[in-house]
Amino acid sequence: MSNFIFGRYLPLNSVVHRLDPRAKLLLSFCYIVLVFMANNPVSYLIIIAFTLGSILASKISLGFFLKGIRPLIWLIVFTVVLQLLFSPAGGHVYFHWAFINITQFGLVNSGYIFIRFLLIIMMSTLLTLSTQPLDIATGLASLMKPLRWVRVPVDTLAMMLSIALRFVPTLMDEANKIMNAQRARGVDFGEGGLLKQAKSLIPLMVPLFMSAFNRAEDLSTAMEARGYQDSEHRSQYRILTWQRRDTITWIIFVVAFAAILATRRW
Amino acid sequence: MTVETRLPKLSTLSLVTMGLLMALQLVIKSFSVGPAFLKFSFTFLVAALVARLFGPWWGMMTAAVVDVIGTLMSGGPFFIGFTISAVLGSLIYALFLYGKPVSWPRLIIAQVIISVVVNAFLNTLWVAIMYKTPFWGLFPVRLLKQVIMTPIQVVLLYALFKSQMVNLIQKRLNL
Repeated sequence: MSNFIFGRYLPLNSVVHRLDPRAKLLLSFCYIVLVFMANNPVSYLIIIAFTLGSILASKISLGFFLKGIRPLIWLIVFTVVLQLLFSPAGGHVYFHWAFINITQFGLVNSGYIFIRFLLIIMMSTLLTLSTQPLDIATGLASLMKPLRWVRVPVDTLAMMLSIALRFVPTLMDEANKIMNAQRARGVDFGEGGLLKQAKSLIPLMVPLFMSAFNRAEDLSTAMEARGYQDSEHRSQYRILTWQRRDTITWIIFVVAFAAILATRRW
Repeated sequence: MTVETRLPKLSTLSLVTMGLLMALQLVIKSFSVGPAFLKFSFTFLVAALVARLFGPWWGMMTAAVVDVIGTLMSGGPFFIGFTISAVLGSLIYALFLYGKPVSWPRLIIAQVIISVVVNAFLNTLWVAIMYKTPFWGLFPVRLLKQVIMTPIQVVLLYALFKSQMVNLIQKRLNL
C-alpha cells in the first residue's frame, strides 16, 4: 500500500552523474518532444541509440530501468491492447469481429506505442537515478528564474521547495510511526474494499497534518529568530556551474534531434 | 465568483506551512489504496487545503512545483499537460473554497468539475498526446473511475474542512 521511495539516486561516478542538473532537466523535458517527432523505424532507431548511449554512459545496470517500468506495466499493456484492437483500418486485416479490428496498421502502431512508453520511462528513470533530489530542486529553482519577469516569486517558491524536500524524510518517518501505532490498535491498512481502505487511512492523515503544522510553527519561529526575511537577495549554498560536458551533451542531443527531423515521415 | 488578482504577501509561518504541506503532498503520494486500475491517493486533500488557506495564486504555484518535483523524483515521465491539470485543479478548488464557507453544494460542484474536466477529460487527452493512444478508447474507463472516486473525495473533503484541525490551523495562521 505504501511505497516509501523518494528519489532513487544511485551514487556512481559517471559523466551522466556529473552533468549539471539544469542540463539534465532540460534534456528530459526536450526528450519527450524528440519522442513525439519519431514516426518511422529509422527515427525510432536513432532515439533508441541515443537512449541506450545515455544509459551506458551512466554506468547504471539495466535492471534498475526495468524496475522503473514495473509500476506502469498495466497502463502500458492496457494501452497497447487498446491500440491493437481498436485502431482504424489500414493494411492487411488479420482479424475482424464486430467493432474489433486487428490490422497491420494497428500492430505497427501498438509496437510504436510500446517503444514510446519504454523510452520515455527509461529516460525519466535515468534522470532520477543519476541526480540527487536536492540537485533536482536546485536545478528547477534555477530554471524558474526567468519567471521573475512575470513577477512569479521564484525565490519564495525555491525556499518552499527546499523546506519541502528537507521534511519529506521526516514526515515519512512520522507516517511510519503513526501507522505502526495504529496497527497496534488493530487498524488493518490495505485490507478490505476501497472504502474501507480509504477509511483506514484517515487516522493516519489527521495526526500527519497536525505534525506538519506543529513543525511549521517551530521552524518559522526558529527562522525569524535568526533574522529570516523573504527577499530576492538571498545567497545560496549550492551554486551550479555549466561545464563543457553539458554543452557537448546538448550538441549530441541537437544532432540526434536534427537526424530525427531529417528522417521522419512528414 | 471573483479571483484575487494580487499575489498575497506571505508571513514566515505561512511560507513554512506551505513548504510543509508540499512535503506532505509528496509523502501522501506514496500512500495509495485500491487495485492497480482503481488507485486512489489522498493528495487532493492537501491541494484543496492549500487552495482554501492561501488562495488561487499560491495554490496554483505550489501545485505546479509539487507536480514537477514529484514526477521527477519518482522517476515518472514529465509532461507539461499533467502540470496544467494540477494547476487547474488547484484553481478550481480555490475558486470554490478560498474565503468562502464550506458547504456540500460547493464541494460537490468543485469536485465534479475537477473529476470530469481535469481528471477524466484533460488527463486522458495528455496520455493520448504523450503516447498517441486512442482518446475515446481510454476516456470511458477513466470516466468510470472518476464516477466511483468522486463521492468518496467529496465526503473526505467535507470531513477535512469541517474538522477542528483545519479550524485550528486557520486560527494560528490568522487567516
